[in-house]
Amino acid sequence: MTNRISRRSFLQGSLAASVGLLAACAAPAAPQAPSADEGAGAEPAMETINLRWDTFRGIGSGWNEERIDTFREMHSNVTIELRPLAGAGQQDNYAKMYAAQAAGDLGEIIAFDPSHYHFWRAINKNIIMPLDDLVATDGTDLGEWFEHFMSLQYYQGKLYGIPSWGWAGFDTLVTNAVHLEEEGIDLPDPVGHDVSTDTITEWAYKFYSEGERFGLNISHNEATVVVLCRLFNSSLINEEGTKCLLLDDPNATEAMRWAYRLGVEEQILPAPGDIDNANGALTAGLLTMNWCGSLCVRNFKNSIEDESIAKAWQILFPTRKDGRFPSQLRGGTWNIRLGSEHADIAYQFLLHIGGHDGSLSFNLVGGNFAMVRPDVAQSLVEEDPIHEWFIPSLENGIPAHAPANSRGREYTSAVQQWTDLLLDPNQPVAFEKGLQDLHDNIQAILDMEPA
Amino acid sequence: MATLTSRLKFAGISGRLMTTRQKRENFYGYLFLTPWLLGFFGLFIGPGLGSLYFSFTEYDVLSPPEWIGLDNYIKMFTNDPLLWTSLGRTFYYAGLGVPLGVFGSMFLAILLNAKLRGLATYRTLFFMPSLVPIVASVVLWKWLLHDNFGIINQTLVGLGWNDPPGWFGDRRWAIPSLILMGLWQGVGGTRMIIFLAGLQGIPETLYEAASIDGATAFHKLRHVTLPLLTPTIFFNMVLGIISGLQVFTAAFVATDGGPGFATTFYSLHLYRHAFDFWNMGYASALAWFFAIVIISLTIGQLRLSRRWVFYYGS
Repeated sequence: MTNRISRRSFLQGSLAASVGLLAACAAPAAPQAPSADEGAGAEPAMETINLRWDTFRGIGSGWNEERIDTFREMHSNVTIELRPLAGAGQQDNYAKMYAAQAAGDLGEIIAFDPSHYHFWRAINKNIIMPLDDLVATDGTDLGEWFEHFMSLQYYQGKLYGIPSWGWAGFDTLVTNAVHLEEEGIDLPDPVGHDVSTDTITEWAYKFYSEGERFGLNISHNEATVVVLCRLFNSSLINEEGTKCLLLDDPNATEAMRWAYRLGVEEQILPAPGDIDNANGALTAGLLTMNWCGSLCVRNFKNSIEDESIAKAWQILFPTRKDGRFPSQLRGGTWNIRLGSEHADIAYQFLLHIGGHDGSLSFNLVGGNFAMVRPDVAQSLVEEDPIHEWFIPSLENGIPAHAPANSRGREYTSAVQQWTDLLLDPNQPVAFEKGLQDLHDNIQAILDMEPA
Repeated sequence: MATLTSRLKFAGISGRLMTTRQKRENFYGYLFLTPWLLGFFGLFIGPGLGSLYFSFTEYDVLSPPEWIGLDNYIKMFTNDPLLWTSLGRTFYYAGLGVPLGVFGSMFLAILLNAKLRGLATYRTLFFMPSLVPIVASVVLWKWLLHDNFGIINQTLVGLGWNDPPGWFGDRRWAIPSLILMGLWQGVGGTRMIIFLAGLQGIPETLYEAASIDGATAFHKLRHVTLPLLTPTIFFNMVLGIISGLQVFTAAFVATDGGPGFATTFYSLHLYRHAFDFWNMGYASALAWFFAIVIISLTIGQLRLSRRWVFYYGS
């Protein structure tokens, strides 16, 4: 027997199914507080506090969940909803947080990192709250964190965050020691700062083999270009964040000329876009020295599978004339949203994720670069002596300079794209013209109205 | 009059006789249209009109929009060095990529319309790249086209081309690299399926008649297949140009607009202003200008189609 279903029955059935599906997708009702009857005769019920944690840091590693669980062991009346941000890139996640704020749905625990140039904008837009009163009430010892990373948390005299991650920026040549050993070169002291720029240049030539290996990779992002200028005793922009130094300081000009000579005239550096995954290229023995951060050495070391092809080492840049190490101290933050109802509890959670245990596991479990506390540095060294290499750069590094108008995203984009044009070996431009364009476009950003 | 009424009743047009049924039909019609209507008005028309308003404001999402009249449009045409260059790159991409893609798909469909053994396997194989996620496709092609270590350049060097292209790392070759990647992914995809459907809709009798008249395979292709495929070609061209002009994901993932702005297409330029720099008002103005460009082009295509598109039986 054939049971034929009419079109109308089919549509009615579909409608019912759709309604059922929609109902199933609807948000579950919030847990109700116990009624007076339920609480009668029992211990006085504690107020249930719900916090939301919007972050892209540590997601997938288990670190966030571990922090929530251990916090709840101490605060059983607190629930923390982890809401992972999973944009295509870090900047996408900031976009999501701004959108959530505009929609009135931003969590209480958030992070607008200074190093990604969102910190000041978020303060100006009344997104994050000052923590001074909470610090005073709690009696927190702010000396637990390295001073330079704590200093990043201040704006106009007020404290707005607890340090999350932090490092010395692109202060290192992450080096494949196998290549040096094959050439019979003694490995330099990894914390010695005793390899000169001339030697780096010489090795960039020596280890370059056309079609087989690059001796040196210099990316064109802002993190690299700033330290490149600092290596030559200058910087990219002034401390106030108002002036580009490329044409005004001969040392900055010389820095770019050095990169131009290697990249465009001699063509021994990777062209823009040639190396996307420098760590992979190092591990595969296709690259000898990669300009990166000292903490990148740890990742390189962890990714090596065959020590006959790659062995992790680092070369720190030579000390500047002023005695500082070429570097750019960069850091992140943990913040509380302005207007949060239970800011005191949110602050306790900040201390829980930014304290010794939280920060240590942020490195070891979360895979972040978070040398923000001296006690964490000690614990990390005990865990792996390679961490000892990073400490001097933190102690004698140079802080990052941010555009005064909070146009950090425009600034980093301009640096990357116009440095690409200056250092493009495939369609070379005259050095003077390329440098002028780079300078003018950076200055144009610095001259914009505040964001 | 009575005759007319009975005829209307017979045709199901009479209001009084069919009111209940018609109302019920209407009710269900609108009921089932509701999800689409909600989406159309709530997620398309509403935000579209909203963006039109924002295009006359300075708006960063976090502060209330501030009315600035035509300033965004004036800035766009007088003080945005990336406007025309990004638009030019977008037209370059679409102008080269769309014809290659459309005619590539058509050629492939003609081949796969032949009666061969293992045809289903061939069709599947050609269709498979279109199922690869764009990010995976980018990773694959970045390795294949790597300047120094990529298999394509190593092959070219082996064949005697001593200075092969720099592909994604070379400003001259970055867009062709994206087109190449797009062709690999798109030629055998949905467009090819539409062409196959178009080919199978051509009456066999026309080919038989052509054979009787002594037509060769080329003559049949030239005088039967191609004319009757023109509606399909037109359809694919219109959609191809619209999506080609909106190129975004591949450039965003593969090159992030670089090197040196070489792949900063219009949509990427717009995205940067909207979601990176938070100039939402300015980005809205960019979007409306681009919408006008695309609509104008589509109208132009529709008008031109009268000259070359042939509808069988019309």
